[in-house]
Amino acid sequence: MLVQLPGGWNPLLGRLALDQIPYDNPILAPLFVAVVVGTILLFGLITYYRKWGYLWKEWLTTVDHKKLGVMYIIIGLVMLFRGFIDGLMIRTQQVWANGPHSSGVFGALHGYLTPFHFGQVYSAHGLIMILLAATPLLVGFMNIIVPIQIGARDMAYPYLNALGLWITAAAAVLIMISLFVGDFAHNGWFGYAPIFELQYSPGVGVDYWIWTLQLTALGTTLGGINLLVTIIKMRAPGMTWFRLPIFVWTSLSANIIALTSFPALQVALGLVAADRYLGSHFFTAGFGGNLMLYTNLFWIWGHPEVYFVILPAFGMMSEIFPTFSEKPLFGYVTMVAASFAIAGVSWMVWLHHFFTMGAGPQVNSFFSVATMLVGIPTGVKVFNWAFTMYRGRITYSAAMLWAIGALFMLLVGGMTGMMLAIPAINYMVHNSVFVIAHFHSMLLVIVYAIFGSVIFWFPKVFGFRLDEYWAKVMFWLFTAGSALVFVPMYMLGFMGMTRRLDYVFNPAWHPYLEVMEVGIAVYCLSVLAFVVLLYVSIRDRVKNRAGADAWGTARSLEWLAHSPVPFYNFAVTPHVNARDELAWRREHGMDALEPERYVDIHMPSNTGMALYIGALTFVLGFGLTWRIWWLSLLSLAAIILLMIIRSFRGDDGYIITGAELERMEKEALRNRAQADGKYVSGGRGQVAGTAIAYGRNGASMGGDPFNSSRDGI
Amino acid sequence: MQTSRIKRLAGIWGCLGFLGLWANTANAGVFWLFDPKGVMADTDLYYMLVDVLTMGAIVGTTALLVIWFMWRYHKGKNRGSYHPEWSHSSFLEVIVWGVPIIAVGFLAYFAVRGTFELNPYDPTILTRVAKPAEKPVKVDVIATDWQWLFVYPQYHMAVANQLVLPEHRPVFFRLTSTAVTSGFFIPQLVGMIDVMPGMRTKNALESSHIGEYQGISSDYAGAGTSWMTFKTHIVGQEDFAGWVQKVQSSPTTMTEAQFNAFAMPYINVHHRVVYFSQVPSGLFDHVIMEVMHGKTWPVPPMMTENMVAYIQKQSAEHRD
Repeated sequence: MLVQLPGGWNPLLGRLALDQIPYDNPILAPLFVAVVVGTILLFGLITYYRKWGYLWKEWLTTVDHKKLGVMYIIIGLVMLFRGFIDGLMIRTQQVWANGPHSSGVFGALHGYLTPFHFGQVYSAHGLIMILLAATPLLVGFMNIIVPIQIGARDMAYPYLNALGLWITAAAAVLIMISLFVGDFAHNGWFGYAPIFELQYSPGVGVDYWIWTLQLTALGTTLGGINLLVTIIKMRAPGMTWFRLPIFVWTSLSANIIALTSFPALQVALGLVAADRYLGSHFFTAGFGGNLMLYTNLFWIWGHPEVYFVILPAFGMMSEIFPTFSEKPLFGYVTMVAASFAIAGVSWMVWLHHFFTMGAGPQVNSFFSVATMLVGIPTGVKVFNWAFTMYRGRITYSAAMLWAIGALFMLLVGGMTGMMLAIPAINYMVHNSVFVIAHFHSMLLVIVYAIFGSVIFWFPKVFGFRLDEYWAKVMFWLFTAGSALVFVPMYMLGFMGMTRRLDYVFNPAWHPYLEVMEVGIAVYCLSVLAFVVLLYVSIRDRVKNRAGADAWGTARSLEWLAHSPVPFYNFAVTPHVNARDELAWRREHGMDALEPERYVDIHMPSNTGMALYIGALTFVLGFGLTWRIWWLSLLSLAAIILLMIIRSFRGDDGYIITGAELERMEKEALRNRAQADGKYVSGGRGQVAGTAIAYGRNGASMGGDPFNSSRDGI
Repeated sequence: MQTSRIKRLAGIWGCLGFLGLWANTANAGVFWLFDPKGVMADTDLYYMLVDVLTMGAIVGTTALLVIWFMWRYHKGKNRGSYHPEWSHSSFLEVIVWGVPIIAVGFLAYFAVRGTFELNPYDPTILTRVAKPAEKPVKVDVIATDWQWLFVYPQYHMAVANQLVLPEHRPVFFRLTSTAVTSGFFIPQLVGMIDVMPGMRTKNALESSHIGEYQGISSDYAGAGTSWMTFKTHIVGQEDFAGWVQKVQSSPTTMTEAQFNAFAMPYINVHHRVVYFSQVPSGLFDHVIMEVMHGKTWPVPPMMTENMVAYIQKQSAEHRD
């Protein structure tokens, strides 16, 4: 051991011992029992209905970008719920533990959470919401939608795609395990130096935090590489740069950010790990360490990450507004320019997260003005969405409501963001709950865009629309909850309430804390409404069956494919003729075309390798957290071995013959005709002017999607 | 800054923005940021109002525009005409880029000016604009896990967890921390500044309002952060002199060794205030040097897993 550890360590189990299991905790113990019972029940049901084979073949070993995307979104939604429960616990603690006369239970002086637990709850809340809820949800949507929008068959690297998913899943499992085995970090989601050093955080919590972050960073980087290559190399013929849907553009800019910024995080965390495991002094206060170096490194990633999650959300809004305004997006070129301007500026603003560190006025001025520059392209985007509605024909469907909600949230978040960008104001509200309210406004833009997208693209993936009534009920409940929680939070910020208070010392704040608690209750109702929405929609799925163009006014290429999209996306790769391809085809009577002939297509085979490696990364993270060296080394060796095996064996994929394809397509078309009654084979072979319906021999610009993935990673 | 003008603006704006809950509290004093009692906090509020009024005009107009579009172009209501192809207008492009650029340019001027005026190391609003005639008071702030020690080097004394300052005299702080990073914040007097171990930051304030103001540890520093608060008293100059004498005659003294005991993890749930009459002159620099040479004040594992038990233990050790 290079460092002094309090408590025991043994070669077999590392720091793991029975007393690390919080079986006497009145909150965690019942939860643990519930989780065990739930898991047994789930496994029992799968066994009873003999679904293991289906699960294995169709989901666990799949490399299909749509299924992987769906699994990303499921992980995101589950973690969103977990993060929401953390938020509920924080709010409940603060409304309870308010004033010197408030009662306390479970060993807490005030409220029900001791500082030891409260610190873990808010740290987990932040980390989960940003990296295991927002990020997987957005990566999931990019995964599903981007390849279809550009007319590709799959991602450039289908296997890498699966690997990214399973590593993200491993990170989610690791942070969930920290609930029941050991504890979690209390240093906030971004980590305070030097509080995460061994002297001030001797437990395993910070180690859980390090390895969870490392795994999500790895998974997201792999996904980023994949999306970049897919967008650059896999576009269908005719899909020139300036015909790309805006969602693809924002995905591109977001993933450039991801690919370039995540390494900074991984290095920063690697150095934290060196401090904690090897006894180095990168971020300690003494021995030449520099704690602000960590803060700089973290936010050099952390701020671009903020735009990594907001840009795809902007892209989603840019798809929803034109569809339900029945009009092309206003200012397409400026929208693209704005996206890249935001991505570019995102690199120059990180210091605004700590204006109060005492940097000189020159430094603070630079970062202040740079931060305000972000307001320019963001403002442009808001105006562009507004002018998309102008002279349009707006349908207030549930998806449109969520997008409009996102727009108004952005106005609030942008307004308060411009306040925080000015150091003179920032000194008063930095680290207050005003900041919390501000970035929740911004993250709510993302959540609104995500729920809008869930409704918008659900029929594309599953073939039926979600119930409009319940989607609207959920929207209004969620909006009421947001207002009730965050308006009082802004006001508390003006009252001087700081963040991360386990005990809220000022009783004058009580009414506001109470209103926020009511807001949390309304949020709970919106979660219920979401469950009802899923139930009702699945029950009425036959009635709600959707055609290729589920909304009748959709504009981009993904709506040309069948709903649900078959595993090969397009039977014959379409040729793209316009920016809003489907709208163009609808106008030219080419939206119901059938290809003249079907050619063989080459598809990647399923593989369990990604799942195995993902599971091993979890074991590695767990082993490192508890300092079980033999387990860590063994799992690392196994990962490397599996990578070598995979790279030698490769994957030749398989061929779907033209005849087979024709049979599947005929069946899909029959279903499609029942769905919207529009599709007849009258358009066969019809070509309008110089327009082309399909690419030659089904080849896309980058050739066979599969070839580029031949060598595995 | 003209305090009355700022307050009037703050009142108007606050009423407009938050009518509902505003009525509930009825008292602007609850909003500490809108009720500044010193030059620094006053100036902070001035810049906040400039920003909010500028951005509010733009954001408010945009919101109204969006709502108007939503109403006018509602499908089936036939209020506005439908132009299915319209998606570009060079005139509008100039507007949508021009308005944010002008707004950002305008605010950037105020941002930079404010940054210099409120630079915590040399706030020109205090040293050049307000120019207090009285002799400054120096205070060395040492944050421990989780208490505040305010050393008054001019008076060779220190006070734990209470800050008493004379009115009309500028106050210059030097701040450091023993263990982890904390934040120094008195909402009605001065904005936040990080307090970091092994490093020295500065801050300054001046107030002409006698009263008691809440001080907060604004950055999470571990388990005891929530109780790491202190009261700031702005008192008349004569009262201040009397108070200094009272502290200087306190039987409790502080040496470097005693400081090390004082800086052990301690959660100040009972808001203990201690007066120290004798303090070595170089204590502040000594603390910084010790940290730089690797001294830490480790926190026991799972210290507050049971807070009630920990506080009992803390009391049993006669540290209260």
